[in-house]
Amino acid sequence: MNIRRIFTLGVLFCILPFLGAGSSDVPEKDFSVALAQVKLTIPSDPQVRKYLGLKQDSGQFSLSQVDADILIIEIFSMYCPHCQRHAPMANKLDQEIRNRKVLKNRVKHIGIGIGNSAYEVNIFRQKYSIPYPLFEDPGGRVLNSMSGIRTPHYFALHKGSGTAIDVFFSRQGPFDDAKVFLETILKKSGIKV
Amino acid sequence: MKTKIATSLVIVTCVVSIGIWRAFAADTLHEGIYDVGTQKPTDSVLKVKKGDTAPDFTLRAVSGGKVSLKDYLGKKNIVISFVPAAWTPVCSDQWPGYNIAKDEFERNNAILIGISVDNIPTQYAWTKSMGALWFPVLSDFWPHGKVADTYGVLRSDGTADRSIFIVDKKGKIRYIDVHDINQRPPLEDIINELTKLQP
Repeated sequence: MNIRRIFTLGVLFCILPFLGAGSSDVPEKDFSVALAQVKLTIPSDPQVRKYLGLKQDSGQFSLSQVDADILIIEIFSMYCPHCQRHAPMANKLDQEIRNRKVLKNRVKHIGIGIGNSAYEVNIFRQKYSIPYPLFEDPGGRVLNSMSGIRTPHYFALHKGSGTAIDVFFSRQGPFDDAKVFLETILKKSGIKV
Repeated sequence: MKTKIATSLVIVTCVVSIGIWRAFAADTLHEGIYDVGTQKPTDSVLKVKKGDTAPDFTLRAVSGGKVSLKDYLGKKNIVISFVPAAWTPVCSDQWPGYNIAKDEFERNNAILIGISVDNIPTQYAWTKSMGALWFPVLSDFWPHGKVADTYGVLRSDGTADRSIFIVDKKGKIRYIDVHDINQRPPLEDIINELTKLQP
């Protein structure tokens, strides 16, 4: 084996760990049941209700009620410095979705501030000019149903039958390229876009 | 000979790379936080009450120099936030939230002072992981927990109870919340109390 070959193999081996740095795949099935039980407050803003395809104007809704082929959920906390640092990239993801006309009304994006009150979520929304819908988690119900989850955490899901949902993508930690991240989800969804 | 040198170089580079990667992953995923488990909710007896003059103190700040309570009297309402210890779960997710709520504190003409019983080097590393904090973080390390003890929030294990004291511009204590150490005090409770101090 010559020096150049040893060196090339070595360099490849060295960069390998960085390809997945900061991410962690978690079994999707573990979260389908928990997320199917999540109830969120119906937004008072009619534009947000329209975006989500919600017909009621008060009370609560389940994730299966969101009118979308793919729903991307960001689990965050306004107290989490990683989520704070990641907020501009999350906004880029939202922009990437909205920029592709073919995804309109098919791929939607929301955030849930686990353990956060509406007041706390609103501070996060204002601080980072978040354009996509963010929801509070009064009493930490979502937090408690997902014991051990770390933020930020991303899920992508399809609707199942009835109130069921099918989580087909789960990622712990931030991502560093919104376009690549969206492509990964679209590819894994199996839906033609 | 050249092959041996190249192989050694590659091995050293790999070891360094993996080390850097592990450090990065730890920061990203909160691996550096020590899980203390569920603790007794409170473990101290208050030595001050609402309406009292807040005991003055002077402590070293992680950003350098010393900070006293009296530095702010007559100028700002003061929110004192005692947290139990650096690198523990709830504490590490408390001040970063206050950090992005600077406007809410300023709107109520208030300054926040963070205090823990950790020494300065520990606080330095810990607060650096939170990003740039806009408020002073003070070390109540030596004499150990003296200020926490003066206020009556020093726990029997030498950490502080998770507590909030709001002191008005005249130096009077207007609000006390010795919170369950396992939970974070809601931010809106603090801001609501500050709003009440507005003329």
